[in-house]
Amino acid sequence: MATVRLDGMLREFVSARSIEVEAPDVSRLLDGIEAAYPRVRYRLRDETGALRPFVLIFVNGEDVSLVPRLTTPLQARDKVDILHSIQGG
Amino acid sequence: MPRSPSPRVRLYLGTEKGTYVATTDSRRRRWDIHGPFQAGTPVYHVVPDPRSPGDVYALANSGFWGPILYRSRNHGAGWSEIATPGLERQGRRPPPKTWGEVPPGAIRNLWHLEPGSANEPKTLFLGADPHRLYRSDDGGASWQENRGIAEHPTRLRWTPGGGGACLHTILLDPERPHRMFVGLSAAGTFRSDDGGGSWTPMNRGVAVDFLPERRPEVGQCVHHLALDPADSRIVYRQDHNGIYLSEDAMEHWTRVGRSLPTDFGFVVATHPALPGGAIFAPLTPPPQRTMPARRLQLYWFDRKKRAFRPMIHRSPWIGEYGNHREGLTVDGLDPVGIYFGTTGGQVIYSPDSGRTWSELPFRFPKIHSLSASPPPSRP
Repeated sequence: MATVRLDGMLREFVSARSIEVEAPDVSRLLDGIEAAYPRVRYRLRDETGALRPFVLIFVNGEDVSLVPRLTTPLQARDKVDILHSIQGG
Repeated sequence: MPRSPSPRVRLYLGTEKGTYVATTDSRRRRWDIHGPFQAGTPVYHVVPDPRSPGDVYALANSGFWGPILYRSRNHGAGWSEIATPGLERQGRRPPPKTWGEVPPGAIRNLWHLEPGSANEPKTLFLGADPHRLYRSDDGGASWQENRGIAEHPTRLRWTPGGGGACLHTILLDPERPHRMFVGLSAAGTFRSDDGGGSWTPMNRGVAVDFLPERRPEVGQCVHHLALDPADSRIVYRQDHNGIYLSEDAMEHWTRVGRSLPTDFGFVVATHPALPGGAIFAPLTPPPQRTMPARRLQLYWFDRKKRAFRPMIHRSPWIGEYGNHREGLTVDGLDPVGIYFGTTGGQVIYSPDSGRTWSELPFRFPKIHSLSASPPPSRP
C-alpha cells in the first residue's frame, strides 16, 4: 500500500492531505485515485491518458512524471508525491 | 446583493480569473457585480440560453485541470460542472505508453457554446481546440463530435491561430433551419446546408498574408462573424486580414475595411434594432493588437454606403489595451445596450443604442467574453 501525499491544489477534489492506495505501478495508482475520488478524473490526466501540464509525480523523491515512467512499479510503503509546478513567474 | 430582486439586464463576463455577473435595471446606469465564479480560472465564454431563462453556460479552461464546462440554473448565482465534450464517454483508459504514442487529440480549450434553435430546446453546439465541433441533444448531458468537421478533406491544411486551433464561431441560420456556419482559426469559414453533415469552405475572396498562396481555399484566420438580422445571407466578417462582407451566404467575400486606418480586429456584432450594418472595433495589427492611437473606438459599418463612422464622440478611454473575439455584445432592450470588454478589464457600454457611452464601475480581470440577458430576439 503506497502512501500518496497530495498538494494543496488537489484539496479541491480530495479532502485529505494523504491517502493510501494499493497499486502495482504509478499508472494504476492514478486509476485508483480516480476511482476513489471521481472528481479527480481528467484533472491529473487528459482523455488520452497524458498527464496534464504542471502535474509532477515523485516516487520516493524521484520524478516519474515522464510518460514512460508512469509504469514505474510500486512497492509497499513507497511514498508518492503528486505536486503542481506553478505557472507564471 | 442586487438592488432589485429581478434585475432587468444581466451582463455575463468570462474573464482570465473566472466568471462575473453584472446586474442592473432598465436604465443601465447603476450596476451590481457578482463573482468571481470558477475563481482563478480562465473562462473563455459565458452564454445564457434564451430558450430556458436562467440557464447559463461557462466554458472554463484551467491551466491545471484542463477544460471544464459549467452550467448555472439560476442566472449565474450558482454553478455546477456538467459533461465536458470528449471526456464523459471514456471508460478505463489504456495505460500511457511513450510520448510519441500518446494520441494527439486531447481537447486543449473550450471556445464557444451556441444554444440550438427554439424548436430544439435541448440542443447545444460547442466549439473547441483542436478544431472540433460538438453537438448535444440532451442539454449537455452527453456530446457527439461532428464528423464532417473532424474528417474534413482540407483538415490537414488547417493550422492554429494565435489563440490555438480554435473553432470559435458557430452561427445558426434563422431563415434556413439546416444551414449553419462555423469559423475556425486558421482554417477559415465553412457552411453546412444539411444540418452539419457536410461542410463547404467559404473563403472565396479572402486574402491571407501568412501563406504562400494569396487566396487559398482554406487557411484563412477568421476572427469573428455576424449575420445580418434582416437577411441571413448577409454576413459580416472580421478576419485577421481585414473586414469583409458577403451578401450571398459566404459564397463570395469583399473586403470593405480599407477606408479605416486599420481593419485588423477581433469583434463584430449586429442587432435587429440596428439594421443595415454592424459594429467593429479595429485594432493596430500584430504584434500590438491594441487600440489605434491608444484611444478606444468602435465603428458602425453602413452596408449600403460601404462606409464606417466612429461611434464614440471624443472617446475619453485612453490606454494600451485590446479586446478578445467574444468581447462585444448587445442586449435585447429598447434602446439597445452595447457592451465592449477590453483586455484591460474595462467594460465600456452604451445604454441608448450608441448615443452616449459610460464605463462599468469595476475593473475586471482581462475580459474574454461578454453576453447580455435578455439577448436580442432571434429573427
